[in-house]
Amino acid sequence: MSTDPTGRPRLERVATGVPGLDTILSGGLLRGGLFIVEGSPGAGKTILGNQICFRHVANGGRALYVTLLTESHARMLLHIGQLGFFEETIIPDRLYYISAFRVLEEEGLAGMLELLRREIQAHDAGILVLDGFSAIEEAAISIREFKKFIYQLQTRAAIANCTMILLSGAKPVAAEHTLVDGVIELQTKLYGRRAERSLQIHKLRGSGYMRGEHAFRITGDGIIVYPRPEALLAAPSTMDYVTGPPVATGLAQLDRIMGGGFPHRSTALLVGPPGIGKTTLGLHFLSQCDDENRGIFFGFYETPAAILDKAKALGLPAARSIAEGHVEVIWQTTAEGLIDEACHRLVEAVRRRRVRRLFIDGLQGFEKMATDRQRLGHIFAAFANEFRGRDVSTLYTSEVDLIGPVAGLPFSGLSLQGVSCIAEIILLMRYVELRSELHRMISVLKVRDLGINSALHRFTISKRGVVIEPDSSNAEKILAQAMRQNGGMGSTAAADAARGNEE
Amino acid sequence: MALILVVDDEYGIAEVLEAVLADAGHEVVTAMNGRQGLERLRERRPDLVLLDFMMPIMDGSAMLKAMGEEPAYRDIPAVIMSSLPESAVAEAARGTYAAFLRKPFKVGAVIDLVNAVLGRHA
Repeated sequence: MSTDPTGRPRLERVATGVPGLDTILSGGLLRGGLFIVEGSPGAGKTILGNQICFRHVANGGRALYVTLLTESHARMLLHIGQLGFFEETIIPDRLYYISAFRVLEEEGLAGMLELLRREIQAHDAGILVLDGFSAIEEAAISIREFKKFIYQLQTRAAIANCTMILLSGAKPVAAEHTLVDGVIELQTKLYGRRAERSLQIHKLRGSGYMRGEHAFRITGDGIIVYPRPEALLAAPSTMDYVTGPPVATGLAQLDRIMGGGFPHRSTALLVGPPGIGKTTLGLHFLSQCDDENRGIFFGFYETPAAILDKAKALGLPAARSIAEGHVEVIWQTTAEGLIDEACHRLVEAVRRRRVRRLFIDGLQGFEKMATDRQRLGHIFAAFANEFRGRDVSTLYTSEVDLIGPVAGLPFSGLSLQGVSCIAEIILLMRYVELRSELHRMISVLKVRDLGINSALHRFTISKRGVVIEPDSSNAEKILAQAMRQNGGMGSTAAADAARGNEE
Repeated sequence: MALILVVDDEYGIAEVLEAVLADAGHEVVTAMNGRQGLERLRERRPDLVLLDFMMPIMDGSAMLKAMGEEPAYRDIPAVIMSSLPESAVAEAARGTYAAFLRKPFKVGAVIDLVNAVLGRHA
């Protein structure tokens, strides 16, 4: 047995090879340990058991898959054969399937133990999966005999250095849970009409693990687990960083208003109603990207082709950055989406591409996918720390209703989902309705540790994108006229008053 | 009527084959692994063996090999059954089998194959 730097015996691990699961398990299952994987029918136990076997073989090991009262091997292989990890040529030489139910029926638990011992030895198996473990409990004549069987199984696993995985039906805390080295539960939960799969480690002897429920999918390549991003990023990948000069926003006038640009490695939030120019401003931000300063456009609403078309139509340098690959456009649909999967996709892209500028369009996409909105604040805080550590400046958008905030109450109507607490900058875009025309205004509401010009500035969307006026004189005139037009109230207040009168 | 030995570890497969072959007019004995299969063979010599490939204790290829080493059983036709393709079992079985049956199979295909093999070895 190997030892750690302090001379203590190191617990050896065997990787499951299931994407995301080894991260949750702090490296994998304990070699020679005994584990229970439990869940209701259809939870994915058999796929998980097979996937672990196939991955173990792919890493040079040998595995044994033993069934009790389950579907036939032929049917099981037919189903598993559809998945990407399946490799027929490793059966039977490196992965062997046997049924042990007849032995259990005729020779009882003692016969089962002897069969498993012999077969592990005969096939030199480093992984054993026992599918249909509930049949063992049913065959035991007493709880005592059942517990004794598990104890003996654990002893044999340790002696043979074979990691054993018992696949069992879902049940509340049971006697066997106290005896094994780990318990993994697979669940399916309904949220409205939508179902989400999740995985939870209830116990893992000998090491820490990532607690809580972690979402997973069964894909064409098998199971992919998404460790909760707020837990995964609880400690940022990099803590050692220094601040630098402001980061240009891509709009010279906005840089002047903000005293040079966004603070280095900051998180900014751009709030405004639909159609006002938030995405366009994001494209200005990404127009600063090149091969050394790569960017990501992570959006929920428009396809990569539509984004490229928009950048081209406005003649923005972002079009070239996208075409040359300096900016990657990632489109994440919210339909049937897992927030955890979206978060992993984003973090993985940032890590893979050495990104310096990140534009996320917008917050509501995450909100739509979240089954537990309490998590959003923690997720965004984790993002902020991780991206800051990776020298990334981030700009989020958030949509407010069409009328926008009330004059004099700039945060009214805003739903920030926890981002406001981690955003160093909040930019507010709003419409001002004057007679038959809608005017666009922008202001900077919050810049930590920096002196800012918080005055409203009028802006337009021209053929060159967003154009912000150099001073606030026009904005002041328009706002004053709008106040008079609305009888001294902001547009939202006026609308509310009108609704009140009708009622 | 022929005596057929069905050797399969999977619960349900041997039972179904026993019922189906009995309906087709054959007598059937079953075993759950190769070692038990050899014991049944020595008790009563069958006309045909239906033999699963992956089994505990003694697999199908080991039983075939043992049958080949005993002159009294060498000429008993064996049909290999497996959920793997024939290419995966052919090398291990070394061509000493009369026919191959891929699982999952249809009942009619089993009866036809058994009767065809029995006819060839009559």
